[in-house]
Amino acid sequence: MSSRQLESSAPSAQEEVPRLHVPIVRFRLSCGAVLLVSPRPGAPVTAVQVHLRGSEALDPRGKEGTAFLTGALLDQGTRSKTDEEIAELLETAGGSIAGGASSVSANIAGRDTNLLLELLSELLVEPSYPQRQFERQRQRVLDRLLVERDDPRVQGEHLFRKLVYGTHWLGRPSAGTIASLGRLTRADLVAFHREAWVASRAVLAVCGDVEPERVRALLERRLARWKSGVDLVTTPPVFPPLGTRAKTFPAERAQVHVHLGHLGIRRNDPDYATLVVLDHVLGTGPGFTNRISKKLRDELGLAYTVNAAIHASAGILPGTFSAYIGTSPRHVATALEGFRAEIRRVQEELVGADELRVAQDYLVGSFVLSFQRASRRAGYLISAERHNLPEDNLVSLPRQFENVTLEDLRRVARAHLHPDACCVVAAGPISQQELEKALKGPRAKSPPSSRKR
Amino acid sequence: MRPKNTQRLGPATRVALRAGARIEEHSLDNGMRVMVIERHGDPVVAVMLWYRVGSRNEREHEAGVSHFLEHMMFKGSGRFAKGEVDRCTTELGGSNNAFTGYDHTAYWFELASDRWEKAVEIEADRMQSLLLDGTEFDAERAVVLEELSMGDDDPWRALTEAVQAVAFERHPYRRPIIGYTDSLGRLTVEEMRDYHRRFYHPANATLVISGDVTPERALEVARRHFGPIGQGAAYAEVDYFRPKIVAFTGERRLKLAWDDQGKRLCMAWPGTSVGTSDDDVLDVISALLSGGRLSRLHKRLVVDEGLATSINVSNDARVEGGLFWIFAECSAAATPEALEKAIDEELARLAQQRVTAKELARVIAMLEASEAYDEETVSDLAEMVGEYAVDAHWTLAFESIERVKLVTPAQIQECAQRMLGRESRVVGWCLPKKSPSRLKRLDDSQRSSLKKSKARRS
Repeated sequence: MSSRQLESSAPSAQEEVPRLHVPIVRFRLSCGAVLLVSPRPGAPVTAVQVHLRGSEALDPRGKEGTAFLTGALLDQGTRSKTDEEIAELLETAGGSIAGGASSVSANIAGRDTNLLLELLSELLVEPSYPQRQFERQRQRVLDRLLVERDDPRVQGEHLFRKLVYGTHWLGRPSAGTIASLGRLTRADLVAFHREAWVASRAVLAVCGDVEPERVRALLERRLARWKSGVDLVTTPPVFPPLGTRAKTFPAERAQVHVHLGHLGIRRNDPDYATLVVLDHVLGTGPGFTNRISKKLRDELGLAYTVNAAIHASAGILPGTFSAYIGTSPRHVATALEGFRAEIRRVQEELVGADELRVAQDYLVGSFVLSFQRASRRAGYLISAERHNLPEDNLVSLPRQFENVTLEDLRRVARAHLHPDACCVVAAGPISQQELEKALKGPRAKSPPSSRKR
Repeated sequence: MRPKNTQRLGPATRVALRAGARIEEHSLDNGMRVMVIERHGDPVVAVMLWYRVGSRNEREHEAGVSHFLEHMMFKGSGRFAKGEVDRCTTELGGSNNAFTGYDHTAYWFELASDRWEKAVEIEADRMQSLLLDGTEFDAERAVVLEELSMGDDDPWRALTEAVQAVAFERHPYRRPIIGYTDSLGRLTVEEMRDYHRRFYHPANATLVISGDVTPERALEVARRHFGPIGQGAAYAEVDYFRPKIVAFTGERRLKLAWDDQGKRLCMAWPGTSVGTSDDDVLDVISALLSGGRLSRLHKRLVVDEGLATSINVSNDARVEGGLFWIFAECSAAATPEALEKAIDEELARLAQQRVTAKELARVIAMLEASEAYDEETVSDLAEMVGEYAVDAHWTLAFESIERVKLVTPAQIQECAQRMLGRESRVVGWCLPKKSPSRLKRLDDSQRSSLKKSKARRS
């Protein structure tokens, strides 16, 4: 067991920021799982999150979606409880449990934390995946995929990831495809759970009005039969090289969803903190303080939704640099040119000292706002463990933000952003030919306005 | 820790203790209401300013002005030039946003507890000296029109707007909050300025300061910034120009077509006003039908019979009477007729048989437990108190669960019989497109009503 008090107290440019206390107690359970507990006396809600290393990467070829369904159907029954009994216990206590491809998120109101932990433990160790529930839930996902097949918003995102990641699993939809789900059986889920949902690959985080030692004792007991499993074997990822690749998903709609970007960074990239600051200057600053929102939304009125970032998707594997805008077909060329012009500008010129200061003040000052919800704290605990963040991260990260210089921003913009080697996807009322023209700039002929509904 | 030497407070009109917070209601001399919610768990303060004006208050020709004005509140005032509100908030490490509803408009800031005063300063300035520059007005109109286009691509939004238009006939609740392309296109700066003058004044506003703050400090800051502003015209609830909600009889049906495989159902019944006893009963009925996996509609339609992939029931109470909604997405294998029949059977069961004490207790326990999520952050508290304060009375925020506990099986049955029958409802379907034109899919009776609303958008 190790215990630490993390405090964020880096001073802003103006004045001292109120202190943020996030105590974390770390245990290694005898089943092999890591347990992190963050006590918060008086908290009205307790959040529990579980992360399993492996996830969609372990989907058998041709049976994509196995990891997703294994997590999503976790709460459909155990050896001793039906799905209805689980729902009855949980819902009347204001609780919920939701599984995904590599995680489980659970919450409960008030002080019924033991109930939540006991149920969750049972689900992790001995889910039963009843045949009837499997059929029903698989059909629900199939029905959703059938509807999403024609949705340019969803298909635009899928297409962009496919262009960036190629055949790597990161380029595939987590829920699988209509064809792959059609091949899945209940036995596939049972086998996947046995092999992949094992204790040695698990991190559990609990945040709420709890005592760490009591949480440990309860989970130690309830997870004693959870198989440790074998260590995860990973292979170095292979992604397509940087380069310009453009695709469309034509659909009769009012707006075009435009994605522009390329492979991004890992969370442990040494430039991470500097790129967070750059993102806030370029495309994710709150309100319209960032350049891309200011230019494309505020000045040109091209869109309601527009943003760009590289840090947000950084993980164990590289995320993406992604700029997005939802705009009218006649504005696509202007938007694409606007994105690239703003990226080039941060590469060629030093940003204003005032812009840098505003971004730094925001990042330092907003730290306390990010930790109000129990679920956010639990999510942070998991992230810190997965990415092996330093124990003093909540103190050192704001300091790193403050130490970023104008030259640092230009350097990382040049090193990590590639405006002339981007994947571009346009989903909506636009043809491939029209997108190719738009990529040549706004002076090329615009798509005919009659396409607008 | 409370400061030792503070300005003496006048007596609070009303005080409540709830969710680890002390809630006080005060009034300034100019008629502005100030709600202070003192809770010291996190070093955070939320500031919300609520105006009792929303799309309900708009005249026909100014549809969408409430929401458009909300955008313009960030485009410059006497002491905060365009972009300054966002820049100040960002520099202070805070967040801001705003939203517009049918009955109210609200502005929100969340800041660390040593720097929240700037939010009050900003709100006071844009209440009394909003610039509304013509160039900015035109630029922001383009953004709002893009927002409208974004919504036009959402089949659920198209369906609910079509159903709502039929349900409310002439009352402003029938219009989308964002307005229409042509009403927004014709709106002038002068009309918006007049609208701002009519509704944005202390007597029509409620300031909520929530979090790591003392009532003394909150009142001192509120008085300093809002105290000098003139009272403005008193809020007049009665608007003789506003059409009344007219009860209709008969079932009204409409169909839209969309170019995907979804079969979406939206049913709506005339609902009730916020804070009434029917509001409490409809909350319970909503939870009985779709609250959780064991709820009647979810269990039958989604789990047992596989007729729907999702089901959601909502008691949308508004100031002048809202709607009771059922939304369902039909599964690929099921027919719309089978889904609708099953829903009707469940509604009939509710009207014919009293719910058991056990089922009612389960639903009440679920509603009670879920309250913790509504009160988790100081912004959650500010939003809940503010919304009830402008739409009805703020104490309802903390009384609702006690009121819901008093609901009986007999009341549920009576309410279902009186309000949720087939004799006064709107049923809308959005089905896979089979022909190139959406309007061709409508039958004659619906085409005329939808054409009216479509014409305003084109």
